[in-house]
Amino acid sequence: MSVEAQQGITTSRIPAGLGGLFPALILIGLFFVVPVLALLLRSVTDPAPGLQNYAALLGDGTYVRVFFNTFVVAFVVTIVTVVVAFPVAWMLAIMPPALASILFGIIILSMWTNLLTRTYAWMVLLQRTGVINRALMGAGIIDQPLPLINNLTGVTIGMVYIMLPFMILPLVGTLRAIDPMTLRAAALCGASPFAAFRRILLPLSLPGIAAGGLMVFVMSLGYFVTPALLGGTSNMMLAEMIAQMIQSLLNWGLGSAAAFILLVVTMALYALQLRLVGSKRAAGGA
Amino acid sequence: MKLIFAGILAGLMATTAAKADEMVFTSWGGTTQEAQTKSWAEPFTTSSGIKVLQDGPTDYGKLKAMVDAKNVTWDVVDVEMDFAIKAAKDGLLEPIDFAVVPKADLDPRFSNENAVGSFYYSFVLAWNKGAVSGEPGSWADMFDTKKFPGKRTFYKWSAPGVIEIALLADGVPADKLYPLDLDRAFKKLDTIKSDIVWWGGGAESQQLIASGEAAFGQLWNGRVFALEKDGADVGVSWNQNLTAADVLVVPKGARNKDGAMKFLAAATSPTGQAKFAEASGYAPINTKAKAEMPADVVKGLPDAHVDGQINLDMNYWAEHRDEIATRWYAWQAK
Repeated sequence: MSVEAQQGITTSRIPAGLGGLFPALILIGLFFVVPVLALLLRSVTDPAPGLQNYAALLGDGTYVRVFFNTFVVAFVVTIVTVVVAFPVAWMLAIMPPALASILFGIIILSMWTNLLTRTYAWMVLLQRTGVINRALMGAGIIDQPLPLINNLTGVTIGMVYIMLPFMILPLVGTLRAIDPMTLRAAALCGASPFAAFRRILLPLSLPGIAAGGLMVFVMSLGYFVTPALLGGTSNMMLAEMIAQMIQSLLNWGLGSAAAFILLVVTMALYALQLRLVGSKRAAGGA
Repeated sequence: MKLIFAGILAGLMATTAAKADEMVFTSWGGTTQEAQTKSWAEPFTTSSGIKVLQDGPTDYGKLKAMVDAKNVTWDVVDVEMDFAIKAAKDGLLEPIDFAVVPKADLDPRFSNENAVGSFYYSFVLAWNKGAVSGEPGSWADMFDTKKFPGKRTFYKWSAPGVIEIALLADGVPADKLYPLDLDRAFKKLDTIKSDIVWWGGGAESQQLIASGEAAFGQLWNGRVFALEKDGADVGVSWNQNLTAADVLVVPKGARNKDGAMKFLAAATSPTGQAKFAEASGYAPINTKAKAEMPADVVKGLPDAHVDGQINLDMNYWAEHRDEIATRWYAWQAK
């Protein structure tokens, strides 16, 4: 059964169960919409009514650079996550179910471990006097420790590690829906493995990549702990800057404005993705 | 539906209602707060019957949020003095009740209408003996990457200290530091920027130096004291040590204000201050405390190193806090 067909069935069932949405809507309304509106209000009233917070953010080179950094990091993390996750997802999709469920268990288990613990573990591994650098220096491969932490490398490694499950899970769903016969047919018609991958597997798995990629990208945009611990100040991300504005500068108007811009940009990206991939396909396989 | 909400609200209010025999003390965690708990909170609970709940770490954003929302769950908070001066101006703090807290013996440098001293400390130059050859002897050495190669660690947040260190290293005389020449300071810091690892909290600074991840750095003297006590191989230079203070404040609208004032009286008493100084290596703010301390502990305190000591100007910082912070974070993000 194709992804579209599954979606078609669910869509037609929604109206009958509409009443069941209310608890979730009330929860989201009270604990998401109301605070976001309060945030928006603060961003245009604190310290004085007007748009000066937005003008300050968009007119200042530093803040613009932090916005830019945030998108660069999120983009790099998303690309690397896709590249690493794809082979894993493909293995999971074609593996015997019993073995696959064990591997799934391992992947899910990593998500249950505390985020801070996992990030600190990476610090121990990556720092100049850390396990990786010591091992490489001990083996005589390098004489100077590699700069693996407090920079983009550290942030990327730490975040890709945390984001992998969010990419693998939707991708497996999409890949499993692909009929393996299509690949066999391609081979029979003389396509090389790479051509089969590029012209059959990749296009068919795009909805899963798009769904997972969007999730990873959006989550990365607002990430705090991992960039704060594994990154340096020169590739600071937006969430850390907002924390500084709120905690250290006590400039809540500016912090609210920054948070609101992030929200708007994220929603705009989501809308763009819906247009490009189509709403049904974007949700497919997830 | 209404009934359910009313029930939830009533439940919330019941659990958060102030209890006269309970108060909350908030500080920075780690070895410092442990010492405060042992030296102040535990004896205070024994003598007054008021239970002291520990919370932390101190978060200025949270403090402001509590006061703004009129839902203050912290009764006494340990904060940096420049913040206390600024916060008092913004109306975030209760005045200290000096009818309850004896003022006579408090060092006037560290107390005002809205704050009493908690302890005072020095930023000192500390290094990992295994990672540094030779002995760095001044802040200028921290900027000399040829003579002293390796990563150096500085305090990450915008606060008194690093700007002054850069200016001193650049040759500004101690008595000409203020008003701070920010352009000159950032230019000097630019010269070693790629060698800086920032520490955001005391425990992190200890970990960086003890592991040799940073060869040397600017540390709070109490954190170096704790490292030495643990047997870490660290060196310390008190040359040009920079003093600053932490103070204790009561947020406006604190639930147990009476208990808070009594706690302040105990914490700033000669005995409370002597015990804390002994446990932490930070200096007491009660002038009578030293009489109650062993001589060898007194020798290790910041006020045994007044030669070349520089007092960071808290009033200047309170006045220019936002302006410096904006430039500081902009420079860091570059």
